[in-house]
Amino acid sequence: MISFQSIKDKIISLFKDTDAIMRGKAVETIEYEARELDNIFGILVLGAFIGIPSPPIQITMELLPLMEKELHIMLDKVLTAHDPLGDLFSVLGID
Amino acid sequence: MNPELMFFIGKGGVGKSTSSALTSVYFSQTARKTLLVSMDPAHNQRDIFERNFSEKPQNVSDMLTVKEVDTDFWIEKYLKETQRQIKSTYRYESAFNLQNHFNVLQFSPGLEEYALLLAFEDIINTFKNHDVIIFDMAPTALSLRFFYLPFITLIWLEELLKLREAIYAKKEIISKIKIGKIEFEQDKIKEKLKNLIDNYESLRKCFLSDATRINMVMNNDPLSFSETFRIREKLTAIGIKIEKVVINKLKSGENVESVVKEFKGQKIIKFPLSSKSIIGLSMIKTYIENNRNVFDDWLGSQQETAGE
Repeated sequence: MISFQSIKDKIISLFKDTDAIMRGKAVETIEYEARELDNIFGILVLGAFIGIPSPPIQITMELLPLMEKELHIMLDKVLTAHDPLGDLFSVLGID
Repeated sequence: MNPELMFFIGKGGVGKSTSSALTSVYFSQTARKTLLVSMDPAHNQRDIFERNFSEKPQNVSDMLTVKEVDTDFWIEKYLKETQRQIKSTYRYESAFNLQNHFNVLQFSPGLEEYALLLAFEDIINTFKNHDVIIFDMAPTALSLRFFYLPFITLIWLEELLKLREAIYAKKEIISKIKIGKIEFEQDKIKEKLKNLIDNYESLRKCFLSDATRINMVMNNDPLSFSETFRIREKLTAIGIKIEKVVINKLKSGENVESVVKEFKGQKIIKFPLSSKSIIGLSMIKTYIENNRNVFDDWLGSQQETAGE
């Protein structure tokens, strides 16, 4: 005989999982936007390292010590010739 | 009291260095504690005073000190400081091979005028007790980039700050939805951007203040005239006022009406052509003696403007 408690636990865990999935889906697009804006910020400031005209060089120099993660991502993207459309399509759920 | 900041700018070869040397000696003779700074990479003051100058200030007389700005020194100092900061904040610094990037960066466009700006900041902070600081500027292109730098940098900084705030607004939403509250690290980059904005704002204010006096040096010929006209246009576009136009190497009887007419709003100073080269302190003093009325007139108009 399945106890009431175990059914209750199963329903609560189902709700928790659904809640997490729903929250995840709700923020997917915003997360993508935030990530892309971060990338744009990185490109604007650190463009000198990937051949793009950049701001007055001292802005790059002043912010460089605080942008390790962004620099790493940018140099990585240049090396691996990342597929930006593929990335966008997967976020929007287009197969 | 903060010192007066006098800039001599103009086309190469018109006599900026000689004019600034003459003016600095004259001011020192009127009991004003004067600092003459060579911001021109050509460093002609060495030839004029017949002495080797350097970053270390040297007394030429009781009231006159001369200093040269070495842009290579400032660029190196700045890049070293940035590398030091990176070493202390990066976790995987060695993975980036940044040394190679830095070796190339020292030749980046923009770094030379930034070095001049760093030297300028250092000078106005160090020599606060002087009455007047005279800057013998680099030829036109570099000088204009020097004056424009705070204005352009502020435009970039303000846009970057807006972008940063937009990013963090989105991250706030994400955080609120995902974990029910706003929780993330304080944005160090935003703080840095704000500090940079404050710094450049104060430089901008300095260039626009009454303490900053721009003297455009020219000769009485068409090329020099056109360039002086263009310099005025460029500086007025960012709100920097021109105080005086110095017509140098003027032969007696030469007609300067067109200059006077074009530069109606500015005080015109005429330095006559010297029959001998103005080399060495005694020649400088002789020239001042022979043309005392021109210099006294200069000081008189200076005091008038100061009184306004």
